[in-house]
Amino acid sequence: MDTTTSIDAEERERELVITRIFDAPRHLVFQAWTEPDRAARWWGPQGFVTTYCDMDVRPGGTFRVCMRSPEGADHWKQGVYREIVEPERLVFIFAWEDGEGKPSHQTLVTVTFAEHGDKTELTLRQAVFETVEARNSHHRGWTSTLQRFAEYLAENR
Amino acid sequence: MSSDRLSTTFSALADPTRRAILARLISGEASVTELAEPFEMSLPAVSKHLKVLEHAGLITRGREAQWRPCRLEAGPLKDAADWLEHYRRFWERSFDRLEDYLRELQGKEKKDGHDDEH
Repeated sequence: MDTTTSIDAEERERELVITRIFDAPRHLVFQAWTEPDRAARWWGPQGFVTTYCDMDVRPGGTFRVCMRSPEGADHWKQGVYREIVEPERLVFIFAWEDGEGKPSHQTLVTVTFAEHGDKTELTLRQAVFETVEARNSHHRGWTSTLQRFAEYLAENR
Repeated sequence: MSSDRLSTTFSALADPTRRAILARLISGEASVTELAEPFEMSLPAVSKHLKVLEHAGLITRGREAQWRPCRLEAGPLKDAADWLEHYRRFWERSFDRLEDYLRELQGKEKKDGHDDEH
């Protein structure tokens, strides 16, 4: 299976970026993100089961999904869709819920789907911002600070 | 870690001057004057940035009255780095499953003769 996962070093300066090529046509990959029954099948690590999945996929629509860990712990995620351009682009706000059902630190996730012959290159960007109000400001560069710091910690253990 | 503390950390990191100050402190303690050197910035302006970093717990400052050396603090940066790593793992693991699921879907399409791509 010809699949790759890579992290663009330059983009890493700005935000979390993950790129992967899926051996499937673009419309199918896009459906897997936007149809609740399909998203419930994969969205979460191996061994996790989706026990609740409500997705209103339209600009301004919300989603709320619960995944249960193999140990039986429930993890709720929620967010708001901001942009849906079938089958090429999906933008949404994402947050894990705290114990009281309130969103914790919010992030902006942008997923793009590019055709590569019969395959699809998916790029996920996750930007950090401290409040929804600040979501349009760009906090570039902090991940490289973190990266340097992680290296520093590793060297000075 | 509380979401508020994480927000404070990211907010403090959102400024290039403050990131440069932190990067400088990786190589050791420094005074305000030393930290101000690379920037075309007044000492009070640099002090303002230091206050933000101090408030976020990213640095601590010595008690010596004359030159209160600034020191990098590991905790909040490590938490922020862990948080980012947590997300990376979450997506990577989800994508492993998406890959399997897409393969399964396509196997089914072919078997049922519903390959709607052609």
